[in-house]
Amino acid sequence: MTEPARNSLDAQLAKLPRDLPPPRNLWPGIARGIERGALRNPQRHRPMAWAAAAAVAGACLASALTWVVLHGRPNSPSAPIMAAQPSYGDVTTARYVAARDSLEQTFQQRLASLDPATRAKVEASLATIRKAHEDIRQALVAAPASPVLEQLWESTWQDEFDLYDRVVQATQPTMTRT
Amino acid sequence: MDTAQLLQPEAEMPGIDTGEFVVGAIAGDTGAFEQLYRQFSPRIYGLCLRMTGQREAAEDCTQESFIAAWKALPRFEQRSRFSTWLHRIAVHTVLSRRRGLRNLYEVAEPATGLPEVADPGSGSPPLDIEQAIASLPDGARHVLVLVGIYGYSHAEAAASLGIAEGTCKAQLHRARSLLAATLGLEEK
Repeated sequence: MTEPARNSLDAQLAKLPRDLPPPRNLWPGIARGIERGALRNPQRHRPMAWAAAAAVAGACLASALTWVVLHGRPNSPSAPIMAAQPSYGDVTTARYVAARDSLEQTFQQRLASLDPATRAKVEASLATIRKAHEDIRQALVAAPASPVLEQLWESTWQDEFDLYDRVVQATQPTMTRT
Repeated sequence: MDTAQLLQPEAEMPGIDTGEFVVGAIAGDTGAFEQLYRQFSPRIYGLCLRMTGQREAAEDCTQESFIAAWKALPRFEQRSRFSTWLHRIAVHTVLSRRRGLRNLYEVAEPATGLPEVADPGSGSPPLDIEQAIASLPDGARHVLVLVGIYGYSHAEAAASLGIAEGTCKAQLHRARSLLAATLGLEEK
């Protein structure tokens, strides 16, 4: 490509307006889309995965509470055995955080009662889930509109709560016998 | 000039506090979000039109971009400009749609129906540059639109398009060469 051709092309490109008004008003379609997707907006409605996670958390807490009431006091709290928790910058709902912390506390107490090999496997699984969650969260910052990433991100929350639930449920019979 | 400079909201609507609308939209105020649409839709539509080369697809992508932005607003970190963030969503929307509807687009006639390269000896009048851009192959067109028109750096464009920076530069070179040939600039 010759220099004059390049300069001529650059001049033509530079003259192009960056703004091109849409030929029709697109807002009504956007408003409809927003209305249809309103259930997915965390500002007014908790996302499905969070709701599912909260439901699991509630069930686990209720289960733990029932166990405490029916079988006496739980094991004494053990020292934290998991690595420092990664930063979940998107968690903003105080009630959700409180429920999650309570559930995690119960989970950690139950985790301490597991044999070392099983506990190591659980901790490794949890670390993998949290690593995936953080990786996806960072990817979402770069591509916030990706529905696939959003779905994956939500699924990691569910995976974490599922793991909590499985550990709590699995350790309950053992603890009742002691 | 980098993208942030090109996309300064203040330059597009002097005296209007975009931040106030952004805060309102994050809080769930659709009226505030509509104001953001009014302000930014020409830029987003222009980007979508040039990236897709098709008016109908550009309209769809513009709508999908704003809907996606609305959904993603709770995650919007106000450290970056809203316009830059919205631009990124639009590029992603176009690329996602393109991947999802690849077959549909590839069998569709180009919007312009122009030949890829003009015949210098045909005596035909010079082609409009917008039509020539629309007739470019996808990869070359995407890079030309982002770098050549909207002022992205190669690093920014490469990141947005999910390609290597070297590929981005090669595509721009290819786009320029094709455009120059299409517009008959090499003969002048």
